[in-house]
Amino acid sequence: MTYEEILAEPGSTVLMLGNAAIARACLEYGIGLASGYPGTPSSEIIEALAYASRKLGYPYVEWSINEKVAFENAYGAAISGVPSIVAMKHVGLNVAADPLFSSAYTGVESSLLIVSADDPAMWSSQNEQDNRWYGLHAYIPVFEPTGAQDARSVTLEALKFSSDYKHPVILRSVTRVSHTRTNITVGQLAKPKLYGEFKRDTSRWVLVPSNARRLREELIAKWDKITKDLSDNPLNTSEGPRDSRILVIGVGVGYRYSREALQRLKLLDTVRLLKITTSIPPPKSLIVRELEGKNIAIIVEEGDPVFEDQVKIIAYDERLDTKIYGKKTGYIPITGELKLEDITKALADILGLNYRVKSSVRVNIEIPPRPPVLCPGCPYRSVFYAIRRVIKKLKVNVVYAGDIGCYSLVVNPPFNAQDTLVEMGGSIGLANGLSHTLRDSIVIATIGDSTFYHAGIPGTINAVYNRAPMTILVLDNGVTAMTGHQPHPGTGLDALGREARRIKIEDIAKASGVDSVLIAKSFNIRDVESKAELAIREALNGKVSMLIARGSCILTAIAKSRRYKVKRPVYSIDLDKCRACTICYNAFACPAIIPRGDGKASIDPRICTGCSACVDVCPFEAIQSIEVVDETWRGILDEVGLDSE
Amino acid sequence: MSNLNILVVGVGGQGILTLSRIIGESALRRGLKVLIAETHGLSQRGGSVIVHVRIGDDIEAPLIPLGECDLMLSLELVETLRYLNYMGNNGVIVSDTLILRPPIPRVKIPSYEEIITTLKNTGLEVHLLDASLEADRLGDIRVANMIILGYAISSTLLGKYIDIDSVVESLAHIPGKELNIKALSMGFKFGVKH
Repeated sequence: MTYEEILAEPGSTVLMLGNAAIARACLEYGIGLASGYPGTPSSEIIEALAYASRKLGYPYVEWSINEKVAFENAYGAAISGVPSIVAMKHVGLNVAADPLFSSAYTGVESSLLIVSADDPAMWSSQNEQDNRWYGLHAYIPVFEPTGAQDARSVTLEALKFSSDYKHPVILRSVTRVSHTRTNITVGQLAKPKLYGEFKRDTSRWVLVPSNARRLREELIAKWDKITKDLSDNPLNTSEGPRDSRILVIGVGVGYRYSREALQRLKLLDTVRLLKITTSIPPPKSLIVRELEGKNIAIIVEEGDPVFEDQVKIIAYDERLDTKIYGKKTGYIPITGELKLEDITKALADILGLNYRVKSSVRVNIEIPPRPPVLCPGCPYRSVFYAIRRVIKKLKVNVVYAGDIGCYSLVVNPPFNAQDTLVEMGGSIGLANGLSHTLRDSIVIATIGDSTFYHAGIPGTINAVYNRAPMTILVLDNGVTAMTGHQPHPGTGLDALGREARRIKIEDIAKASGVDSVLIAKSFNIRDVESKAELAIREALNGKVSMLIARGSCILTAIAKSRRYKVKRPVYSIDLDKCRACTICYNAFACPAIIPRGDGKASIDPRICTGCSACVDVCPFEAIQSIEVVDETWRGILDEVGLDSE
Repeated sequence: MSNLNILVVGVGGQGILTLSRIIGESALRRGLKVLIAETHGLSQRGGSVIVHVRIGDDIEAPLIPLGECDLMLSLELVETLRYLNYMGNNGVIVSDTLILRPPIPRVKIPSYEEIITTLKNTGLEVHLLDASLEADRLGDIRVANMIILGYAISSTLLGKYIDIDSVVESLAHIPGKELNIKALSMGFKFGVKH
């Protein structure tokens, strides 16, 4: 994806993704450093800033090894007086939670903006956590854009607030803010502050207990001041008649849904509507002012009823008897993401109006599911096909401890090769415990390259140190593929596309004392089979083994073939040899291989990528290439990493 | 001008994001306000993809409510079926006739005839096009999205919001723009004839 729009002329209006608008605001503020770890729906913020940095020569932008390091990187810069941001998906903040809490104690010298992109409805995530709780928990203010529409302006205000109060600020986005594209009018780019100085002050930067105790007292006092000051922040606004008996509070993106729902119910002129952008700490005096004289208050927010709880606390403290509705009262669903029809109906039901969701077209036909699948030509397909054959041959029980990445998709048939999947790096971590407690199964931890660097290394060392026999299968395709091909320490490039030192997974494994480290070519089923057998036998003998299955992400390989003008082969089925055994389309399940009416296979040349892996799958040698396969293409498939442009 | 709710649906990799982005760029050139709620990440890997495109001054929320979609542009028939519950009673559908089998072992998919009958029975205005077939003949199946777009501009209410010129301008920075423009005009002509 390119991000030309992020450098649009000041004053112009361009179509921009919410994430790009956040990135643009960073340039308009003049940040000096940005870091992050890729994760949907946050990835485009750092990507857009990296694009800008390539063009402008600033700010400093990096993809860090994980969110904790990304956080510390930005925190360090902010301590030295350089305005910085760190961006991650919601669950990434769990990884970075340790420095997060400390950052509130020490404060910072310039802006430290923590962008947390939450994923309600779990479009690409393992949970639906609402990171505004972190704001309450860690004493860090939370700003919430109400949509892509004001993502830019709210980011600017959040950066400014952080600098004014020398305190970190969380900018909480959600999928429908980050991944909504809209008309954005941009402002002037600021001169960035790229360099700072470290002012030695052990009483502040060293959190030994004696300092931390004092800093906690100071933090509580600072929080009181922040709470008071945010009560009058102009980002929170109200509209509609002040003397209405009904108040609707739209928090973050909840404001957009509330406003349009009120418009649809023709209530904009009769109901008071409060827009909340600085949700944590709740703007107390504003809430009290708006609750006074109201019979009903309805809170619309994305995620958990965080703000609803705060309003109820305030109402209790102030002896206000307004009836408060929200996600805890049953009208607004607590799970999933907000929907306009749900909010319209909730408001109508609470207010005793008649509203029905528009009759929608219903059909009586079974619609097959279409879950995401491994791409045609994905190197993981041949790897899992081979591993399953080895398991069958060795007649062993296996538990596949899975992890997060494209290979998560092999949870589905025909592979069924992810028995657990809980969090980044959890494969090797859980495999430690499983291997100590399962007596008649072997454990295969499957983990991608980027995930291995992110959180797989401590688990690996732990397994060696504490003698937890397992096979660690590292699926190395050279990039962070799922989130859009961001580079990592094995790629050979940095975030800006410059050459970077390549840190090899096998070197890490050997240095960690892994008993045997094997490397197989992912697209070569025979190679994977023979090495997987060796690796699994090692695990059966009580050892820790690692099999690195290496092969290019097919999307990268196709891009390279276009760039270097290498012809990719197209495969087809020799129908005289095909015996309709179904292996290629049912057990290998490449989307390019399609069953014909008679059960024989056919290959759609428009979908076939030429990866060649299926050739070894057919027992009857019916899959063949029309032309001789170019050796350069084989080289592209077997080699991982990206080239600098 | 009243608000317009468009759904762009299909299978990950078919150019659905590009299609919706081009509609958005064109609307912007005509001075219209647009909100496009995209699908990124996991679901893009060959899965079902739905993008909400909303055009109009009063629009605040990013998602189209069920039963209120005015225009569906679909690049695949099974996906057309999947999102029918979003269609309003006066909704219009422009769909490719392409059927892509979900690559799941032993999956059962409805036949072309079953799908067409189902669509007809909804009573909605349905336009079917061999867009992928024609795109393939043009040399790249990926420009099916532009054939659908051209058709929708000449034969549906989308033409009141954006025109071919604004689309061509929006395509200026897209790689392979000549082929895209060719596909766009082809679709436009199909729609005119209709």
